[in-house]
Amino acid sequence: MRIIIDEKPVEVEPGITILEAARQNGIDIPTLCYHEAFGGQGMCRMCMVEVKNGTSSRLVASCTYPISEEIEVRTSTPAIARIRRNIIGLLYRRAPNSEFMRQWYEKYEQPQSRLSPDVEESCILCRLCVKACEEMGSSAIAAVFRGTEKRIGTPYDDAATACIGCGACAQICPTGAIAMTESEDRRTIWNREFALVRCQKCGRPVGTGEQLEYIASKGGSALESGLCQVCRKKQAAVRVSEFYR
Amino acid sequence: MQAANDLDSKLILVCCGTGCLANGSREVYQSLKKQLTDSEVTVSTFTKPTGCNGWCEKGPLVKIMPDDITYCQVKASDVPAIVEKTIQNGELLERLLYRDPQTKKRVKSHHQIDFYKKQHKLALRNIGEIDPASIDDYIARDGYKALAKALRKMTPSEVVEEVIASGLRGRGGGGFPTGIKWRAAAGQPAQPKYVICNGDEGDPGAFMDRSIMEGDPHTVIEGMIICAYAIGATRGFIYVRDEYSLAVTNLGIAIDSARRHGYLGNNILGSQLCFDIEIVRGGGAFVCGEETALMASIEGNVGEPRDKYVFPTEKGLWGQPTVINNVETWANIPVIIQDGAEQFAALGTAGSKGTKVFSLVGKVVNTGLVEVPMGTTLRDIIFTIGGGIPGGRGFKAVQTGGPSGGCIPESKLDLQVDFDSLLEAGSMMGSGGIIVMDDRTCMVEIARYYVHFLAGESCGKCTPCREGIKALLDTLTAICHGQGREEDLLYLEEISHTMQDASLCALGRTAANPVLSTLRYFKDEYLAHIREHCCPAGICRELTEFEIDPATCTGCGLCTKNCPVDAISGEKKQAHIIDQNKCIRCGECIDHCRFNAVLVR
Repeated sequence: MRIIIDEKPVEVEPGITILEAARQNGIDIPTLCYHEAFGGQGMCRMCMVEVKNGTSSRLVASCTYPISEEIEVRTSTPAIARIRRNIIGLLYRRAPNSEFMRQWYEKYEQPQSRLSPDVEESCILCRLCVKACEEMGSSAIAAVFRGTEKRIGTPYDDAATACIGCGACAQICPTGAIAMTESEDRRTIWNREFALVRCQKCGRPVGTGEQLEYIASKGGSALESGLCQVCRKKQAAVRVSEFYR
Repeated sequence: MQAANDLDSKLILVCCGTGCLANGSREVYQSLKKQLTDSEVTVSTFTKPTGCNGWCEKGPLVKIMPDDITYCQVKASDVPAIVEKTIQNGELLERLLYRDPQTKKRVKSHHQIDFYKKQHKLALRNIGEIDPASIDDYIARDGYKALAKALRKMTPSEVVEEVIASGLRGRGGGGFPTGIKWRAAAGQPAQPKYVICNGDEGDPGAFMDRSIMEGDPHTVIEGMIICAYAIGATRGFIYVRDEYSLAVTNLGIAIDSARRHGYLGNNILGSQLCFDIEIVRGGGAFVCGEETALMASIEGNVGEPRDKYVFPTEKGLWGQPTVINNVETWANIPVIIQDGAEQFAALGTAGSKGTKVFSLVGKVVNTGLVEVPMGTTLRDIIFTIGGGIPGGRGFKAVQTGGPSGGCIPESKLDLQVDFDSLLEAGSMMGSGGIIVMDDRTCMVEIARYYVHFLAGESCGKCTPCREGIKALLDTLTAICHGQGREEDLLYLEEISHTMQDASLCALGRTAANPVLSTLRYFKDEYLAHIREHCCPAGICRELTEFEIDPATCTGCGLCTKNCPVDAISGEKKQAHIIDQNKCIRCGECIDHCRFNAVLVR
């Protein structure tokens, strides 16, 4: 199917989103809540674009808009620039503590609301952490409450029983808003402490006990070898070289 | 209904709508039943509890047929007199009749009152006339005839075309043409298909859907069955706001009796149609009135909306073709099928056909539920039907369309209300809430109030709505507290436009309406807060000082009596004085003064 993005005709697979089509063709649309592993969430609204279908045109979120017709897309217009500037302004207002948001903010040069709340927040509620946790199969965290009170949390803010301490949430978080601390043998995350298992060879942390158990239950062998990924590779290389010697 | 056929017996209808119940109509009904059984009344009587008559201001209402007598504000203690005098001897109880404020005369029947004269009841046609728990009452008033007509005399596509021809637009707020929606779902090959009734009414002050579900549940059910036939659906859901327990009860009774009568279940009325309905109780989230959030909630997920680039008619509930309509929309369907699209389309304006039910609340004499043809002016609704502003105060604004609606000023009172005219005026139809405000209303505070409501009721999923509302709320609060600056007004507008353009669902896209409409029509009030540090309505406490005009004050002492902090002093028949150090700016004095002697400084 042929559509037009920013005056450039491009060939796309019907059903993919405008964002996917644009990126496949080297056209950048800014996003904050998008990750190719999960698909579009339609939440940050940074990826708004203008879609023209015949004579009517409207603003849509490119990450959730599936292409089914021969549309004409514009990814940057003054109206879109204004939306993006204001979204960045609003999110920086929400999360002034985030270096990530400060960088976006400087890029968009939006004068800040003079009534910004005095908060030490860095979460921008992109929910990539929730998605990552869901994909891992744990669903230990979720977006809780409603409206302006919405935030990421565990059920009743208790130590998350479903959490395996894998840290995928902290890893994917763009703003470093999820507190994960590690000591010699403990990892603390979501109000819960986990015993860290270290590589038997190099001593590097391999993961938490719960995480390794979970991986093993899914058919992995992380627990058996007791080695980290790097050492496992090394060991395999040695075996192969011994075989051919 | 039986009584109507029997001239010797009397039918006594006791309004048991929400407002009347709260004022003790259940006791009135029970007392009537008991006394009519116990006493030696020789007249045969039927006593029925009905749904909401709409005239909530004067409830509990008791109507006596065929004499066509309407008694207002009836208490259980009035029952012996009603039984003895009116039922037994046919005498009128003058004191229970409505007293016309203009002519000062007592009026026998509600049919003679302005409140009802200008109304045209389609969706509310049965409410107040039937016992909602009785399917026989509904059938006696032509209930389920439209269904029989559709099944026996019309093809599914003829039903769809009839609804399209009627021009009916969704009454829940969006105003999307109902028939077009049905046609889209009918054209989908996927099975199963679903039909949903959106009964998650949540606008502050709105109770039209509640009254229909409580007072005439069968009309909703009949409308849904007709749609199921038209689009080929097999299952239906009625999503009811959890707080509406009477609606849940009455709908449950209605579904059971409809099943027993063969209107629901397999091979309905001997046709090929198999369709059943279940009730889903909402979890108390305002945002679940948004259709995609509602469907997420039925599926057992968190009630958050999704982008609707693929319509629910193609991928709705559980990814299947779904028609979702509002309660009032459903209530109109049997009328359209039974009487024909032409008759329905004869009412209303070019773009909005039929009638609309409004809940008329706020500073208006006759609060209640009214149904008028589309195109009726706001002035007629508020002043002729509503009876104007109580307490001799001036009209200031009317807010339509719920929390995301806009405030319309006096200069627009002759606006003919329909979907398009309200949008043009910067407000919207919404589900039909009309909140009247008098001159003791601060428009900045009103905007802040609605934004505050939405701050708690937005789902919080997308940035423009969640963070935009927060930014608006902080800014409006600052203005109300006297910390506003002129540049804040530009910021309010800027953020509002981004919310309109970029929010995920209609809640976010309309959330800035209260702000934008008050900025459009009442900007001088914002400027008074900012430039002069004054709240002209005397509501924002930080910006208000009350003083008594010595020239107008008669020294009646009513303000002194009502002041909760004893801040007012003065001799009888002498001008009074407010001690500003004691005054807490509550406004009791200005609200009670009969001579407009209390001024806002």
